[in-house]
Amino acid sequence: MQKKSRIPVLRGLAALAVGMMALAACGGGSDENGPSGAKELRLWHYESADGAMGKAWSAAIAKFEETHPGVKVKFEEKSFEQINQSGAMALNSNEAPDILEYNKGNATAGLIAKQGLLTDMSDEVVKRGWDKLLSPSLQTTAKYDDRGIMGEGNWYGIPNYGEFVSVYYNKDLFKKYDLEVPTTLDDFTKVMDEFVAEGVTPLANAGAEYPAQQYLYQLALSKADRAWVDRYQLYKGKNDFKDPAWTYAATTFADWVSKGYIAKNSAGTKAEDMGVSFMKGDFPILVSGSWWWGRFQTDVKNFEWGSFLFPGNTLHAGSSGNLWVVPEKSKAKDLAYDFIDITMSKEIQNLLGNSGGVPVAADPAAISDPKSKELIELFGKVNSADSLAFYPDWPAPGYYDVLVQNTQKLINGSAAPNAFLDAIAGPYDENLQDQGLGD
Amino acid sequence: MATEIRKGERAVAVSKDAPPPVRPSRTVSYWLYLVPSGVLFTVVIGAPFVASVVLGFTRWQGIGAPTWIGLENYQRLFQDERFWQSFEHNLVLILAMAVIPTFLGLVLASVLFDFVGKRYGARTASGLRAAFYLPQVLPVAVAGVVWTWILKPTGGALNAVLEAIGLPGQDWLGDESLALPSVGGILVWLQIGYPVVIFMSGLQRVDPSLYEAAEIDGAGWWRRFRHITVPQIRPEIYVVLLTCTIAALKVFGPIYVLTRGGPGGATNVPSYFSYQNFFQKTQVGYGSAIATVLTLVIVAVTFLFLRAQRRGEETS
Repeated sequence: MQKKSRIPVLRGLAALAVGMMALAACGGGSDENGPSGAKELRLWHYESADGAMGKAWSAAIAKFEETHPGVKVKFEEKSFEQINQSGAMALNSNEAPDILEYNKGNATAGLIAKQGLLTDMSDEVVKRGWDKLLSPSLQTTAKYDDRGIMGEGNWYGIPNYGEFVSVYYNKDLFKKYDLEVPTTLDDFTKVMDEFVAEGVTPLANAGAEYPAQQYLYQLALSKADRAWVDRYQLYKGKNDFKDPAWTYAATTFADWVSKGYIAKNSAGTKAEDMGVSFMKGDFPILVSGSWWWGRFQTDVKNFEWGSFLFPGNTLHAGSSGNLWVVPEKSKAKDLAYDFIDITMSKEIQNLLGNSGGVPVAADPAAISDPKSKELIELFGKVNSADSLAFYPDWPAPGYYDVLVQNTQKLINGSAAPNAFLDAIAGPYDENLQDQGLGD
Repeated sequence: MATEIRKGERAVAVSKDAPPPVRPSRTVSYWLYLVPSGVLFTVVIGAPFVASVVLGFTRWQGIGAPTWIGLENYQRLFQDERFWQSFEHNLVLILAMAVIPTFLGLVLASVLFDFVGKRYGARTASGLRAAFYLPQVLPVAVAGVVWTWILKPTGGALNAVLEAIGLPGQDWLGDESLALPSVGGILVWLQIGYPVVIFMSGLQRVDPSLYEAAEIDGAGWWRRFRHITVPQIRPEIYVVLLTCTIAALKVFGPIYVLTRGGPGGATNVPSYFSYQNFFQKTQVGYGSAIATVLTLVIVAVTFLFLRAQRRGEETS
């Protein structure tokens, strides 16, 4: 182990680098406000204005200004990439906003919580009762310990919405071949066999981005329990990549490619192409996240579609959505908490639900749109059973890319399941060592 | 240095009875002209470069204080299989971005100048030259998206054409053995305009009587090309080879748009590898070390080229 040395020169360099990155990251001046009694709430988020979250949050801003006369909300639109790549630098500078949306997980929110850039809002959470509104697996992504690991420790963020992976299917194609919605993995396999026999590739897939690894993870989860998820995601005990769940996932995934359930030429495909091909009716089934829901709702015109949970699984990929966090340097923390409170109110939560999002605290009776209702009920099933199992790429920074590169090999048949498991074990274990989490 | 001329004053540099002005020393005034670019260079290139070199000796996640770890990043780098692989891929891309375009560019420029220009008029030649140059003008993101459409395994234009003539379609960017050659092919298309333009302007310099004399002596097109065209525009060839090689070593945009270094790392290159570590894995120190090695390689290549060029000029 190296000794930590804090050389002034390095500090200066770090500051220099931060300054340069801040130059690249964002403009926008900071106004001097008094320590609360602030007349302005500076807010950043990166949701598109016409998406569910964007709509809900615009309404929340309006509501905030209505209930706080004399306070202006100064909203700055950011991009996901901007926050992801230089958000930390900005929070470390005097440019920090009073409240912002931040990506959840160890490598993102956990990293900046560990660095002391975020406000610990544990007292506020209890006082305002936000903890009552969030199920255990939604709370996991909101709490970080002093190593920046999610699941325990203090509250550093509050999610307004949830997301989860389910099976989307083309009802017309199921009808055409006289197939039922499967309830077990065996039935699911039979359905796919039928499609293959008819010369149809059943599963839409994208190897160049996240979809392939989510297929793999769903298969692993079919043989896993909560303790397995805690090992893999929260480092509670040793995760073994050669255990039955991982072995089953890798061999079955490779098997699904060789049987023609997943196209052999899908290694280079991007998620967008996968979604579009499902919307065109090229593939009868797509296993992916609830973020597609709103898009399918507006864009799928020529066939009926529906969704069911991955058959037989008690655990599903998914988590809370991104978090509202309050930077340590925020000059209006009390106003930031008031704003979060508004986003958790029934009014805003119901709007989020009716706009195609997955609210965490909506009133089911207030959701009028039937398709949105369907989504929220599906999420209700997952959430009440506490079966959100997060995403496969979360345990280590840069692990997303490791999984993409190696599932591509699995699709192309250039790596056998065993070699695949070895390849993904390396970087995972390396991260444990880097962070001093290893045994 | 400008002398101010106020209203009503006659624009006479110096009145007769004034002592002759002291001229600022020449070198000082030259240096003054260098100040703006010097400042810009320091802020945009110099300081970040020094910061990056120093960060290469640290472990840093981009925030907080970096930890000094000496040569640890470099030790890790030299054992990192993916790093060496990315340099191997770079060799293929030097072929695709420097060697092939330079050779093709020479032939094309010579054909346009010598044959098309004379046969069909200068207009046709410059029209074709513009067509070759077009990919250089297109934003790489746009070109990349268009190429991914063309090369799509299902419903892509290239496979549609192949299947129409009875050949099997391929997964051009998704198959590990095909991805790098496919990217290489796209890069040839992307680069080709640059050497053509440079060589054609080089050929303008060549004395036409040389060609005429050779033609009278009965030299064919190929011999004229080998013994007149190539030696006459040797300086341009060096410049193109050097700049294209540097571009190939630095290549990032096309890889990012087309394959993200995939499938299975088959098209990973050092600059993308550095970016991944720096931003995606928040291993800023390691990313900086990769960038530093890449910079050293580029400086070394440049130095070797310039030396070769000097020697080449001395011998001719």
